[in-house]
Amino acid sequence: MTWTPAELEARLRRVLDERYHHRHPFNLRMHEGRLTPDEIRTWVRNRYYYQTRIPIKDGLILAKSSDPAFRRGWVRRIHDHDGVKEGTGGLELWLRLAVAVGLDREEVVGLRRVLPGVRDACDDYVRFVESHDLLESVASSLTELAAGEIMKVRIEAFERHYAWVEPDGLQYFLGRTRQAPADAAEGMAFVLANARTQADQERCVAALERKCEILWRLLDATWAAHARPRISSAAKLRRDPAGLAALAILPERAVRLNETGREVLALCDGERTAEAIASELATRHPGEQDVWEQVHAFLAEMTRLGVVEGRKPA
Amino acid sequence: MSAPRPYNLVAELTYRCPLRCAYCSNPLGFARVPDALDAKVWGRAFREAAELGVVHVGLTGGEPTLRADLREIVTSADEAGLYVHLVTAGTTLDEVGIAALREAGLRSVQLSIQDADPAEGDAVAGVSAHARKLAFAHAVRSQGLPLVMNVVLHRRNLGRVPEIISLARELGAMRLELANTQYYGWALANREALLPTREQLDLAAAQVERARFVPGGPEILFVLPDYFAARPKPCMGGWGKRTIVVAPDGRVLPCHAAAEIPGLEFGSLRERPLAWCWGEAPGMQAFRGEAWMREPCRSCPERARDFGGCRCQAFLLTGDAAATDPACELAPSHALVVAARDAAEAAVPPLRLRGDSALRAPAAR
Repeated sequence: MTWTPAELEARLRRVLDERYHHRHPFNLRMHEGRLTPDEIRTWVRNRYYYQTRIPIKDGLILAKSSDPAFRRGWVRRIHDHDGVKEGTGGLELWLRLAVAVGLDREEVVGLRRVLPGVRDACDDYVRFVESHDLLESVASSLTELAAGEIMKVRIEAFERHYAWVEPDGLQYFLGRTRQAPADAAEGMAFVLANARTQADQERCVAALERKCEILWRLLDATWAAHARPRISSAAKLRRDPAGLAALAILPERAVRLNETGREVLALCDGERTAEAIASELATRHPGEQDVWEQVHAFLAEMTRLGVVEGRKPA
Repeated sequence: MSAPRPYNLVAELTYRCPLRCAYCSNPLGFARVPDALDAKVWGRAFREAAELGVVHVGLTGGEPTLRADLREIVTSADEAGLYVHLVTAGTTLDEVGIAALREAGLRSVQLSIQDADPAEGDAVAGVSAHARKLAFAHAVRSQGLPLVMNVVLHRRNLGRVPEIISLARELGAMRLELANTQYYGWALANREALLPTREQLDLAAAQVERARFVPGGPEILFVLPDYFAARPKPCMGGWGKRTIVVAPDGRVLPCHAAAEIPGLEFGSLRERPLAWCWGEAPGMQAFRGEAWMREPCRSCPERARDFGGCRCQAFLLTGDAAATDPACELAPSHALVVAARDAAEAAVPPLRLRGDSALRAPAAR
């Protein structure tokens, strides 16, 4: 059965109510003023990678449309983000936020120390738009429906709880409170006009769910960098009786560990953060490539498998 | 061919069980099989398994806690260096009993729960068990043991997946296994009463996804059941490849249903060392690797992932254990699975609890 446009809009809004990252514990903590300066900096540095993917995503969407009126409207997003001349636009404003929270601008621009989980989530978003049609791609952008509201909450939270951040750094959020509602209205109008069959409508709902999942994963990975992993009480580490490797045994599961894996787990004492462990390993192995990234990815995998418990900041 | 290194031992200590679950996948003739191995022989099995490379043992059944010598069995498994995991229905042990097993070396517990709805759960188990199971779960957690909650899914409880997930959260489970009914033994005889609808499965899958957005819950394992998937399940991670099953009669099997396949000769711990039973027994060799495969499996790129699916299911549905698993869309006999799905959509017969005398043989041969 096909939904009326009003029903489809309600359905899409329900997806956001249930799954948008305003519910994510990291965002809740941010808005309650409970993040440390380091946690704020990790978020700003990593979220910049997402920002850099947005104009790429919008360029892909432009290339899917043969309607000049649609493209004329949609290209505004790229202008908003990249600026119409150097030193303006959303990316530039995000870099000002980065400097305002105490990050090195060049490090952020160079996308150094982007967490692998964040990179994967953002790359998945670009790949999604690459591999889906115009309708689904536009539907996936409808998280903007909720963006205006979350930006208002965020500005208030920063002014109240993070007074150490220079107010100039908040310009990005302010800009989005104006742009996001207009972008969302444009996207919603397109979806409601073009999702005519039940199958189309279901694809739109699924696309928005997928996008919510991507934003959620981004925050999961960001937060996990500040967890203090320790070996789970369910896990038993032992030498593999049939080889040189080590094993982590869990209920109904065994995980094989190499030498570096063991070295990482030896640092999982519930005191060090994942970030501290990754930095320590990178220092210990200066000659090797991507140690920092690999340790973060390894800890995420060990957490997923239950080998370590990612104790979160209290 | 040299035998692969096993990681896991499934020790079926007994087939006795106080429950009568309509989805039980144990062999139909289970009641005639005695507990043939005493604690000493189990101890020997654990030591020999450890030498082969096994690191994990699941003590299961039937209901393993009905063994009066369970504590001794746990001790010997722990002393052999194995990670000792108990798989139980949770109706027979109190906290004192759990504490004793923990002291003996028990590391973790898997508890089966039939449903989030107590009356429905008891109906499918055939006994009043739900309340005792919840008390058992609390006792496990208060003993500090990790808890895995296992719920066998079928058409009568699939509508309550959100409630089941909530229950797993409340009980403090580290993992929730939403296990689709496997159609062997009694479950096969009840297949039309248990098979879900596609619609139920799609809804449940969406509900599981939604639950992942609520932080702090258990890891949730849920896969589409093989009757509804395009490809068969990688049964046991391959025949005789990773897991050794020892049945209550002492036979060493690749899975708990394989003894149902006629003509396969398996070794028994009553007569032979485990290494022979695992590595050399003709039954264990029969479907190891890929040499037994026919087309379409033999040239299928997915054979390395699904190992040709399940031999027991191939036998139970087609009468030929070397046939392609009918769950696979590419199987010549796939129509059997489609027909079963269609029959279940059309009419749902009543459940027959395990042991009901009206039932004599599997209906779907």
